[in-house]
Amino acid sequence: MAQATLRHDETGDVPVLGPGHTYGTVTDKISSIVLTEPPRPGWIFGFAVSFVLLLMFLFAVLNLLVRGIGIWGVNVPIGWGFDIVNFVWWIGIGHAGTLISAILLLLRQDWRTSINRFAEAMTLFAVSCAGLYPLLHLGRPWLFYWLLPYPNTMALWPQWRSPLIFDVFAVSTYATVSLLFWYVGLIPDLATLRDRAKSRIGKVIYGFLAMGWRGSARHWHRYRTAYLLLAGLATPLVVSVHTIVALDFTVGIIPGWHTTIFPPYFVAGAIYSGFAMVLTLSIPLRSYYGLKDFITDKHLDNMAKVMLVTGLIVTYGYLMEAFMAWYGGNPYEEFMILKDRPTGPYAHTWWLLLLCNCTIVQLFWFRYFRTHPIWLWVISIVINIGMWLERYVIVVTSLHADFLPSSWGMYHGTIWDYMTYYGSIGLFLTLLFLFIRVLPVISITEMRELVHEVHERGHARGGPAVTPGTAHP
Amino acid sequence: MSQPTPPPAPGSSDRIAPLATARSLAMAIGPPALALCIILMLIPPTRTVIYPAYLVGYVFWFGIALGGASLTMLHHLTGGTWGLLIRRPLEAAALTIIPLAILFVPLLFGLDVLYPWARAGGADEPLIAHKAGYLNPTAFALRAAFYFGLWILLAWLINRGTDRQDQTSDRAPSRSLARISAPGLGLVFLTATFAAIDWMMSLEPDWYSSIYGAMLITGWGLATFAAMTLVAAALRSQPELRPVARPRVFQDLASLMLAFVMLWAYTSFMQYLIIWSGNLSEEIPWYLRRSRGGWQLFVAILILFHFLAPFLLLLMRDLKRRADWLLGFSAAILGLHLIDTIWLILPAQVRDPLSPQVGLPILQLLLVLVATAGIGGLCVSFFLDRLARRPLMPLHDPAVDGLAHLRDDETDDQTEAYPAPAPTPRA
Repeated sequence: MAQATLRHDETGDVPVLGPGHTYGTVTDKISSIVLTEPPRPGWIFGFAVSFVLLLMFLFAVLNLLVRGIGIWGVNVPIGWGFDIVNFVWWIGIGHAGTLISAILLLLRQDWRTSINRFAEAMTLFAVSCAGLYPLLHLGRPWLFYWLLPYPNTMALWPQWRSPLIFDVFAVSTYATVSLLFWYVGLIPDLATLRDRAKSRIGKVIYGFLAMGWRGSARHWHRYRTAYLLLAGLATPLVVSVHTIVALDFTVGIIPGWHTTIFPPYFVAGAIYSGFAMVLTLSIPLRSYYGLKDFITDKHLDNMAKVMLVTGLIVTYGYLMEAFMAWYGGNPYEEFMILKDRPTGPYAHTWWLLLLCNCTIVQLFWFRYFRTHPIWLWVISIVINIGMWLERYVIVVTSLHADFLPSSWGMYHGTIWDYMTYYGSIGLFLTLLFLFIRVLPVISITEMRELVHEVHERGHARGGPAVTPGTAHP
Repeated sequence: MSQPTPPPAPGSSDRIAPLATARSLAMAIGPPALALCIILMLIPPTRTVIYPAYLVGYVFWFGIALGGASLTMLHHLTGGTWGLLIRRPLEAAALTIIPLAILFVPLLFGLDVLYPWARAGGADEPLIAHKAGYLNPTAFALRAAFYFGLWILLAWLINRGTDRQDQTSDRAPSRSLARISAPGLGLVFLTATFAAIDWMMSLEPDWYSSIYGAMLITGWGLATFAAMTLVAAALRSQPELRPVARPRVFQDLASLMLAFVMLWAYTSFMQYLIIWSGNLSEEIPWYLRRSRGGWQLFVAILILFHFLAPFLLLLMRDLKRRADWLLGFSAAILGLHLIDTIWLILPAQVRDPLSPQVGLPILQLLLVLVATAGIGGLCVSFFLDRLARRPLMPLHDPAVDGLAHLRDDETDDQTEAYPAPAPTPRA
């Protein structure tokens, strides 16, 4: 199968779909993971590990709620620690889904088809993890609604000039639109699952969620309109969320935070880490479930290219930050960017970050690294680590040494910080494992469409074409 | 100032009638206007007025030259039928970096007028002394020489590659162009950023902003798309362009313009929001200079007509598909881009941002038009000559394959495919 996907077509491109697929084979292959296969041992093992991590998360959070955020490493100069680092990291990972679904849809990039469902699910789960951190950081999460502007007798009203308030709206809008986008895209597939489900309970649940989809021309027309409108709505959100996260920092005039390049380079960094996470997850998935005909080497190659571009933008951001720290002549800025970060007590994180985010990604200039899944997988994990370190460097170093040496301090995560962090990875993976078993990981509908398009293109070129066969419901 | 334009090869410039007409017009306006600029540069009382105006005109045309090279390379990387329609104009625009390199020389004689760091005693101020190793006339000239060397090399490489591809149906030249384009684009982005810092940001040497290069580059990208759409719309009835001068392709160009309108607004607004909210004494003067003394009018024009109006208009699919409408629209965008460039450069002359308001420098604004016409006259005639020498559409470009699937009845979405629309007959 790997050989087949490496076969080049007439234009020298690796195809976005393995050869020989029809409407029927596509539907069978993707829906069988949900409907007919029993859980595989690998799935059970992965789910069990994730679930244990999730339990650890719940334990850490319970302890936090009982004892308060004093169990974390945050202290007076460094009031933002792992919680904000993790918030930014998760929300960044959550960007690839919408980018792939909305922007690549509007740009008519057909290679997005087989990864969008999966990336959207990943987005939702990452945003769920991200959203928990600011809430937990509140100290008394049950009073979260104080963040919202609502009439109350406490004379409490949000500070509208604060990006922290923009965040509340940006993240919740993003979560809502992503969820809608995902769900609307799922409806025809849910109908397929409803029609193919063997068990009564499956029929009822999928039937309920499919909202009476019958596949009539009118249904398709409205579905397409809704899907496109949602794509249009989601597009600005890809930029807005991480822009506002960047503003959270830049509006504070702490050295190392107040620089104008932050918004675009945060957005690029978010896409960078999002694609890295898509690769980290999809490479084992496609290999374990034999989906290499759908998530082909072409997809991996394209994602690597997107990561190279965004990695270079991030590097440009670091460079501008460093140059302006010197050029601007502000001694505090210069100390922070050019002295404390490379040589101070957190220097090891800074150097590691440059290694992970700026240096190793340069391997993607070579086709060899873009087309060998094992390399891609390793590099994508390195980038995930690098992007976490980036947020750690930004949050912690800037706070640890501000204008007055008398207010300097040090920060280290405690065991509870680490438990919450790894625990949230458990939450993310648990949701993902469940998703793999209950919903189609690749959009069946859009893959059928791709089969049709590849078929048409084959005709146009006069070359050997795949025969789509008759459509399944 | 000698004319950098080589004499047109027999029969080449006249091959396409509209180009020949436009070229003779550019040649009629350009040299006299440029001569006036040079004369004013030589007279001591007027040199302080003309140099900033000349810089505005220079940066305006420079952005399009650099955009030509960048977008050509971008198209080699991404493909797409939009690029076929404007590829030849883009390549010709990239070559205008050659006359622009010569037209940069006069600026070197006016550094003391333009840049406080180049004045006698300018480096005595501690903040400027700190970066005197970077901001001094020698380093400035050496960096400019390096930038121009690189840009000319890239412009030459992409033009040579496209000539080779025209002669063979083997795709090897296009593949090697794609290989140059990825690092080339990165290098152009980086050098353009530093050119923006050198030539424009250092007009106020105590001010800094790390998004500045990205903000300028997106503005130049928009100007390039506007200029290229203008050329494509003007040439839409040329028989050579018939396969690509179609509503669908114009719609794509307009959508790309929309993307750049939004990017420009995004980078500009982010810089403003961050500096406004920080309200630091070293950053805020840049906006104080640009929002008083009549410059607030420019701010209003930029917000309304450089962002809001184009944003709303470019959301309308019917307009985007009309080449005749895009012709006027692109011209307006170019005018607004000039206003943006004026607003970025001229207020820098106000030394004290809180000084009493003196009003707009009307004479200088008129001289901006003269300088823009002078530099533009030479660049445009060079551009038109280059454009006329080659087929108006690249002959064997990989993007030509996409033409087989290009249907005007199909829009950028699939809404109309369900149910399939009745095929519209085309003439």
